[in-house]
This record gives sequence, C-alpha cells and structure tokens, in this order.
Amino acid sequence: MLLAPALVLLAGLLVWPVAELSLRSFADPAGPLVFYERLISVPSYLQILLRTLMFSAGTALLCLLLGYPVAYALANAGPIARGVILIAVMLPFWTNLLVRSYGWIIFLSPRGVLNEALLWLGMIRQPLDLIYNVQGVLIGMTQIMLPYMILPLYAVMTRLDRRLPDAARSLGAGPIATFFKVYVPLTMPGAMAGLLLVFTISLGFFVIPALLGGAKGLMIAQLIEFNINSSLNWGMASALSVTLLATTLAIFWIGDRWFNLGAIWGIER
Amino acid sequence: MSEFINHGGQSRRAFLVGTAAAGAALLAPAAAQAANERIVYANWGGSWEKAMRRAWADPFTKESGIQVVSASDNSLGRLQAMEQAGKVEWDLMEGLPELARVGAEKGLLEKLDFSIINRDGIMKRPEFFNDYSIPEVIFGRVLIYDKRLPQKPTSWASFWDIKTFPGKRAFYNKVESGILEAALLADGVPADKLYPLDVDRAFKKLAQIREHIIWYTTVTQSEQIMREGQATMGLLADGRALSVKSGGAPVEVAMDVSLLTWSVFVVPKGAPNKEAAMRFLAFVLDEHRQTAIAMAYNYGPVVPAAWKAIPKDRYNLISGGPEAEKTAIFLNADWWTANLQPVTEKFQQWLLG
Repeated sequence: MLLAPALVLLAGLLVWPVAELSLRSFADPAGPLVFYERLISVPSYLQILLRTLMFSAGTALLCLLLGYPVAYALANAGPIARGVILIAVMLPFWTNLLVRSYGWIIFLSPRGVLNEALLWLGMIRQPLDLIYNVQGVLIGMTQIMLPYMILPLYAVMTRLDRRLPDAARSLGAGPIATFFKVYVPLTMPGAMAGLLLVFTISLGFFVIPALLGGAKGLMIAQLIEFNINSSLNWGMASALSVTLLATTLAIFWIGDRWFNLGAIWGIER
Repeated sequence: MSEFINHGGQSRRAFLVGTAAAGAALLAPAAAQAANERIVYANWGGSWEKAMRRAWADPFTKESGIQVVSASDNSLGRLQAMEQAGKVEWDLMEGLPELARVGAEKGLLEKLDFSIINRDGIMKRPEFFNDYSIPEVIFGRVLIYDKRLPQKPTSWASFWDIKTFPGKRAFYNKVESGILEAALLADGVPADKLYPLDVDRAFKKLAQIREHIIWYTTVTQSEQIMREGQATMGLLADGRALSVKSGGAPVEVAMDVSLLTWSVFVVPKGAPNKEAAMRFLAFVLDEHRQTAIAMAYNYGPVVPAAWKAIPKDRYNLISGGPEAEKTAIFLNADWWTANLQPVTEKFQQWLLG
C-alpha cells in the first residue's frame, strides 16, 4: 500500500510516455516497420549506434581503471582523508554538466590551458588533439561518470571481509599476489556493477558529445534530437529511442543474469 | 539554429519578461478584454531579442497598446508538442524558412491574413511569398579569413586552394549550413544552376580538402577557432564573423562571398491572439520599421525601400545589401525541406567514412 503513490507516479511519468513513444515508432501509415527498415538500411544509423556502444564501453573501462585506486584509497583511509576524498569525488558530481563541459573546452583546446602549459614546458612541439574528437568525448564522459564507478566499488570494499586478505598474507602470499588473487576477485561484484551502471547511463549522453565530440564524436542521442527538432520525424526518433532502450535493457538483463547485479544493491535471490 | 544569435543573458531576460507577463495577467481586470492586449512571441532571444524589442516591439506597443511577451525555444518540435497537448501558448514565432514549409505541411500553422498584412514592399523573390509566412530579415553565412594569409581570398574556389591559402578551414557540421553550396560553387557550378544540388558531386569536392577541415559543432567554437587562428578560413554565420572581427582578431570578413538565407514569421494554429499577431506583422513590414531593425542589428531588411535611410558606411555590416536582389546566392529552403533527412544521413555517413 505504501508503494501506491510511487507506482502511480511511475506509471504516469514513465510507463505511459514510454509506451506511447514505442507505439509511435510503429505508427507509419506505410506499414509498422518502415522506420526500423530505414534504421537498418541507412548505414549511418547502425554505425552511430555501434559507436555509441563503443564510446560507452570505453568510458566504463576508463572509469574502472581510474576509479579503482580511488575507491581503494577511500575504503582504506582514515576518517579525515576519507572525507577529503569523498568531497573531491562528489563536488564535480554536483557541478552542472554544462559548466564542466565548458571547463573542459577551456582546458583542452589547442590553445587551451593544458596545451599552452605543455608547450611552455617544452614537453610537446605541436598542440595535442584532445577535443572535438573521440578523445574529447571519452575525457568528458569519464570525468562525469567516475562517481558511478567509485561508489559501488567503495560499497563492496567496505563490506569486504578483511580477514580474507589477512589470511592470504599469513599463509605466505606476497602483497601483490594477495591483492590480485584475493582482493580483486572479492571486489568484482562492485566493478561489474560500476561497469554496467556507467555503460548504460553513458548510452544516452547528449551534451558531452555535442560540445566536446566535434563531427566524429556523434552519438545516438544527437540523432534523436535531430529527428525531433529539425526534421520533425518523430517516428524515426521514436524508433531510435526504442532501439536504444531495447539495447540498454538487454545489456542490463545480461548483467543481472550473469553477474548477479542485484546483490550489489542488497537484493538477495 | 541559434548559431546566428548571441545568447548573452537570454535566460535571465526571458525569466524577467515571463514574470512581468505573469504579473500583468494577474492584475488585468477583465480577462476577456485583456486577451487581445498581448501576444506571446517565441523567438531566438539574446541580443537579437533586445534589438527586436527596440526596433519593433516597443514602438508597436506604444502605437497599439498590445504587449509583446517573449518566449524561448522557438522550435518545431516544441510547437508540435504544444499542438498535440491541445494547448498552444504562442501567437507568433520566428524561425528559419523550413519552419514555414514543414509547419504548413504538418498543419501546425494559421494562414496569414493578407487583408491586414501588406506584402507589396517585400523583395520580389518567389520563395518569400506563401500563405503561411512572411520573411522577417535576411542574414547569411560568410567567408571569414585570416588577414595574415599571403593573398586575399575572393571566392569559394580560394577556400579549396590550400596551396595559395595554407591553413585549416572551419565548417559547421550541419549539412544545411551551406557547405554543399560552397563546394559546388568552388567546383564551377554557376549560381543559377545550383539547385537541385548535385549532392554526390559536392561530397566529392569536399573530399578534396577533407583533412584540412575543422568541424565546429557550436557557435562559440566557430568564433574560438577563428579568433585563435586554428583555421585560416571559415564559413561562419555573419554576426559571428563580425563579432570575431570587432573583438580585435586579425581577420577580415568577405561579405561579398556569402550564402544568404532569411528568417520567417509564422502564426501557430490555434494561437490565442492571432489577430493581434497579424497586426504586429503588418507593423513590422513597414519601411521605417525595416530600417530600424537594420540599424539595431546586422541583419538585412526584406523591404528594399528600407535601404534608403540606412547610412552607406553601414552597408558592409549588414547581410544582403541593396544588390542582394540581383546577385546574392540564397539557400533554397524548398529544396532543403524536401531533402534534409536523406542528405543529413548521407553527410553523417561521409563524415564517418
């Protein structure tokens, strides 16, 4: 009973619009699958969908590489250091997306802060190409998604049974072997949850690729926007959205089935 | 298509205007009587909105007593959403010519009342005349170049001549921004044979300078690229190009190498105060009001008689000068409306390939 208001809200604000959106994608007078046929026959749509998947996967992996040490430090720090790290992780998270994007533009431009500094130090001769391309998208998305990786990892690391690494050490394993053979496998659920979370949220990104991606950093959300606002082809926009939604759900389902995602949120099966 | 407009301070202004309007509505004594005393005008905002207010809205309010209230996000998508929700809040909307074509096609627009609006003074171009829209102002995209280049570029062919004019080229990554037209003109297609565009030929020509192109995706970026000298030539919205120049960067703007387009006024179907909107449109087409807007902003008047009162030294700061009627190249909105989707898909394919 207590759930009723939330369910009504969810039905009205999520289920119903999504249903209408899906129906619209099949509603061409020329036949129900016209938009989907077009989606398959025009190669750029599938190519950009594929790129979207690759950008998101790349972001997820970068987040894992960068986030794991941070989560580890967070889990093993004293209370003061932990507070400082948490603020460092959360402060950008609470900062407006546009502000951060423009910050990156100032920082990464060919004549931006970073390139000017490196040139001045004599470390490079030509400005590095860090923005308006794939690199720009990955840098921007990784920074924004990092908390989604760090927090699940941190949750797993604090709940981890500390006697297990200690036992490994006492049984003669070195610190490196203990880390890779005991610690890392024990934190895998957190890593998987983080990867999946970052990946699926990244799929719908719009602002970052639009501002930092240049011509080659196109992602599927930009195609949806074009179809809604410029060509007024809402059917096509719906078909693209449904495809993206289906892809996301499929990946989530796989993640839940094989990696038991529920466990990370405390749901036991 | 807000690339043409400087968005400085838009949101705060829109908020203030909106609040003032809400306040006015609350204070209005009789709702029925108040209904015709204000029109809601969806526009691009920013410095352009301020110019329109000075040149058009304020004098109109003074003359007629009708308030003009601004609304933001003047997009087709938004209009269609309002129409489907059964609640159209706008009386008037500005946009690119596609707005009139697609809007009429989708049944989203009201026919204009030409017993109120007098079109006699408008420049005699066939694309300016249809049942659902009137032209608003002329603007365009121009060639901007670095003054340190060894020679002065004179045409789109210079744009493709990397040997004589070394350096990168800046293009907008929207295919309808004139890049295909520039490519075909550079390839020797005569201006009057431009449409229907030979898309494949244009992409072939573009491929010649492919690795020299920097694609900009936002207007800020287009200015930044030229200001910092990342590119030595670019195809930029006129206002943007002039703002780079006036900002002190070593660039020059070739106003004679330009591709012109225009904006239109339309009245959404079901607009609550459409008659007042028609009166506003009639007011705006007046010769003196057209002069006023060309003095307040760098966009060209659509009524040629307006040029009489514009000082000569302002001519090269305004798009579509007095000669535009004969020599200028206008982007063909009809062709683009019909072909935007397939050509955009082709363009994305070309970019990725």
